[in-house]
Amino acid sequence: MGFPYEEASWSVVDGAMFMGWGSAMPGIYTAIAAGICVAVLIFGQITEMRKARQYN
Amino acid sequence: MGDIVVEEQIAELAAQVAALQESSGGGAAKVTNTMFAETFYYLTIPLMIIIHAGFLAYEMGASRLKNVLSSGVKNILAFAFMIPTFYFFGWWVYWAFPTGLPGAPGPAGISGIDYANSIAWGWGESAAAMGPNIADQASGVFFGAFALFAATTASIMSGAVIERIQTVGFVILAIVLGSFAWVVAAAWGWHADGWLVTEWGVHDFGAAGLVHAVAGFFALGVLINLGPRIGKFNADGTANHIAGHNMPLTVTGLMLIIVGFWGFLMACVIVPGEAWSWFADKPSTIYGTPITLSALSFNILMAISGGIIGAWVMTRDPFWMMSGALAGIISTASGLDIYFPALTFIIAFSAGILLKPCADFLEKRGIDDAVGAVTVHGTIGLYGVIMLGVFASGFPALQGAAGEAPTISLMGQIVGAGVFFLLGFVPGYICSLILRIVGMLRIPEGAELVGMDRVKVPAEGYPEGIPAPAVVLDPAE
Repeated sequence: MGFPYEEASWSVVDGAMFMGWGSAMPGIYTAIAAGICVAVLIFGQITEMRKARQYN
Repeated sequence: MGDIVVEEQIAELAAQVAALQESSGGGAAKVTNTMFAETFYYLTIPLMIIIHAGFLAYEMGASRLKNVLSSGVKNILAFAFMIPTFYFFGWWVYWAFPTGLPGAPGPAGISGIDYANSIAWGWGESAAAMGPNIADQASGVFFGAFALFAATTASIMSGAVIERIQTVGFVILAIVLGSFAWVVAAAWGWHADGWLVTEWGVHDFGAAGLVHAVAGFFALGVLINLGPRIGKFNADGTANHIAGHNMPLTVTGLMLIIVGFWGFLMACVIVPGEAWSWFADKPSTIYGTPITLSALSFNILMAISGGIIGAWVMTRDPFWMMSGALAGIISTASGLDIYFPALTFIIAFSAGILLKPCADFLEKRGIDDAVGAVTVHGTIGLYGVIMLGVFASGFPALQGAAGEAPTISLMGQIVGAGVFFLLGFVPGYICSLILRIVGMLRIPEGAELVGMDRVKVPAEGYPEGIPAPAVVLDPAE
């Protein structure tokens, strides 16, 4: 992904310093993380109900 | 003419008063900063002791009733021996060998045998830095924080070997791990003069490799020689689950470890404004690269969450979920200073997913790791070191001018991971093999069957027994 500044030196950094800064990656990561949360909840509900119905 | 002289004298006097005020205020600010710096590291020590409270609860909960106190004794004793042995020689090893053998001084001027001799022995002139000293408000708190890192490595190994190891044999292994093996890893990969850093650009801010992976694979080396608990494996090689006597205690212990991790990671930060600081005005990592406590807050919280959720998807088991929280932090610890929080969450989630399959892989090969320490700390530690190489290639690994400072790379992180694996596994395997040969590794079979508390501890964990459950858990009954 690379250092988000042209010069590979910390002396030029005076603000954001994380991976992907200045590109679309932070937004993409956020969307993926949110998608994981939603997918896990859906998967969790389906599998838990399937198991619970066995005791009906 | 006389007026001019008086005016000059007044101006000179005013300048002297201003200089005096400035020096007085500056002096006060300096004292305040020094006191802040000392307090910062001082507070990491009790926070890291919470890690040990957590490991104690976690191991005792994971033990069967007949072994609960002996597991506790072993854990407490490891802590107690780690502190003096780290004082006697572990601290010296850290400062002596960053550049490797034979301990030559490095470019930052804070390493090598001569430097270590001047600050890290408890005798002669160097003892001035190893005891109360009004002119030194840093050495003791730095030593304390590092000694607690050392004790953490011993606790990591401690959980894996419960219910069949001899106490003294275990303490010897803990000393080798905590006061030597991980210290060498720290000197090489967690020091501005460390050869893994200066030559390969290895970056492991939160010690995923040099603490967790070293301790995890040291435990693996020990487990191979120690063997499984009686009853763990059937004749056909299939494994039985040996449940601990108190899952809630285990899970609470894991949560306490998470609390202590905040102190552990806080201690990885170098505060500004002191003679030994990298910067006058901003905090840094041990490599002299910038970091903020805000970065840690964002990323640690996201890592805990991602790890728990990943482990829940795979297991639904609170033990593995809280282990997932640990795995989440460990998998991202190398880059908690520079990860973006959502990326931290994704990597931690993947670690939570990986956890149980990796533990099952070891179990199928006859390794009885009672608490999953090899997987949580070893495998996930190396995973974290390598993941940083995937995402952070190109970041400067040290403070320095462009082109002079090494940069983080996937190859460098893989080399670092390989070195951390060897620094853990090889000493763990060799030392436990020697202990096995001299009969100091495993307790006799009869003692294991009757329970180690009866053999080793003149007290009972539950003298009045454990009450039967008030609720019928099996719907068929």
